[in-house]
Amino acid sequence: MICVDNLCYQYKNGIRVLKDISFSIDKGEFVALIGRNGSGKTTLLKHLNGLLKPTQGRVTVNGLDTSNTKTSLLAKHVGFLFQNPDHQIFCSTVYDEIAFGLKNTGVNSNDIDRLVTRSARRVGIEQCLELNPFSLSKGQRQRVALASVLAMETEILVLDEPTTGQDYKEGIEIMEIIKDLNCSGKTVIMVTHDMELVARYARRVIILQDGTVLEDGQTKSVLGKTEKLALANLQPPQIYMLARKFHKNGMFKNVYTVEEMYEEIISYLEGEVNVCNG
Amino acid sequence: MVEYIKKDSFIHRLNPMTKIAWTLAVLAMCFIFDSPFAILLILLSNMAAAAVGGIFKNILPVIKGLFVFSLLLILFQIFLVTDGRTLFYAIPYFNMGRVTDVGLQLSITMSLRMLATVSTIPILMMTTPMTDIAAVLVEKFKIPFKYAFMFITALRFIPTFIGEMEQILQAQMSRGYSSDTKNPFKKLIIIIPLAIPLLVSSVKKAEKTAISMEVRGFGSGPRSHYRRIGMSNADYAVLAFFLVCIAVSLMVS
Repeated sequence: MICVDNLCYQYKNGIRVLKDISFSIDKGEFVALIGRNGSGKTTLLKHLNGLLKPTQGRVTVNGLDTSNTKTSLLAKHVGFLFQNPDHQIFCSTVYDEIAFGLKNTGVNSNDIDRLVTRSARRVGIEQCLELNPFSLSKGQRQRVALASVLAMETEILVLDEPTTGQDYKEGIEIMEIIKDLNCSGKTVIMVTHDMELVARYARRVIILQDGTVLEDGQTKSVLGKTEKLALANLQPPQIYMLARKFHKNGMFKNVYTVEEMYEEIISYLEGEVNVCNG
Repeated sequence: MVEYIKKDSFIHRLNPMTKIAWTLAVLAMCFIFDSPFAILLILLSNMAAAAVGGIFKNILPVIKGLFVFSLLLILFQIFLVTDGRTLFYAIPYFNMGRVTDVGLQLSITMSLRMLATVSTIPILMMTTPMTDIAAVLVEKFKIPFKYAFMFITALRFIPTFIGEMEQILQAQMSRGYSSDTKNPFKKLIIIIPLAIPLLVSSVKKAEKTAISMEVRGFGSGPRSHYRRIGMSNADYAVLAFFLVCIAVSLMVS
């Protein structure tokens, strides 16, 4: 579905940001892209919908070569959520803002109405449709931006820190929406610094370091590699750090989230109870 | 873009005052002389100054832009002068658009004068940090600091806005926005998705800047200056040279 082949990218000022990156992402994957600030994450994302064109190498999305396909055309395949919602909001109502992308891609007016209402309901801003987006809070504006991406019903969602400006609960809500979309078959590629979210939602993790792929694999196997994570200024989730302390006692070998820890403890306690009763 | 280019040349080391005096001296001399050749000479001396400052390559595109403007100036001027001998008609068959020798000389002089006087400004800006110009304006020319600061801040925000514009364009393109249309009316409408976010974010940015300056005590009392920019012997020598140039040109013309 997405194929990145020996991608190199150099900014006009000569700085090489991406160096020989290769990977492919299949339909329905949930990939977290992590790495320290300035490692090239956003630059890489911008190649996925042709905002940036490779200096060398090739990026194909749904068989379209991004270097000779316009971004406005790729927009039908790739939905892209930016870090800062204020870079896109310009309409006087939330409704128009969400409908903007649909109008651009030539969706007819009946469908626009249905899609706008649906995506607004999905992110929980259906009561704001007639409000001016500039009067909303930062967190709500981020949701408006997310809704405007979701409305376009693209198969691929590219999200650059989707939970910025949200508090913990709102962040989880957004991630649950994204998880549902992923379950319904959409491919998700997400940049985040929140390792708890990575452990909880992503099934695959790519670590970028100085413009190269440092690690690419299943979430659990990547999170276990603490040294590599440390290279990228990252730390595994705290619950994993705790579980690791018990590894030498032969416990919690496969624990990366609070839920998994809970399950393990419960089954352990149940075992104890059985021993006592027996 | 006309912005400061860091180098260590003779021109860079001169006091900003001296360089401002230079722009004024060039201005004065351009109006003392009426001959296009003399003004061309002044223009060439400007280029020589740019070369000494090591910014000749950077100044060329600016001069090119100004040159187009000066051609327009000639075009507007040349038909308005009726004195002198007729050289030719722009539309010969109808005898329309008479061009006289006086008109030709006058309009060429005008446009050269514009080129010579205006081209000093980018040379000044490329060889002098904005903060130094502002410091001199405040200290020596007694311009209120607030105004000088306003001026520098406005200039310093230009690259920020260009970056912001790029981000906004990308965000809209990701939503299927396309800016290529040949219809001029559509072009006006098509700018809205870019202009409004830029306007909003600029106002927000300006507000944040104002607040962050205020919490650090901007405008609370008399200021002290960290940098003192002194006059060197070279500065005095150059200033004396300007005076001689002006005196000589007064005598010659």
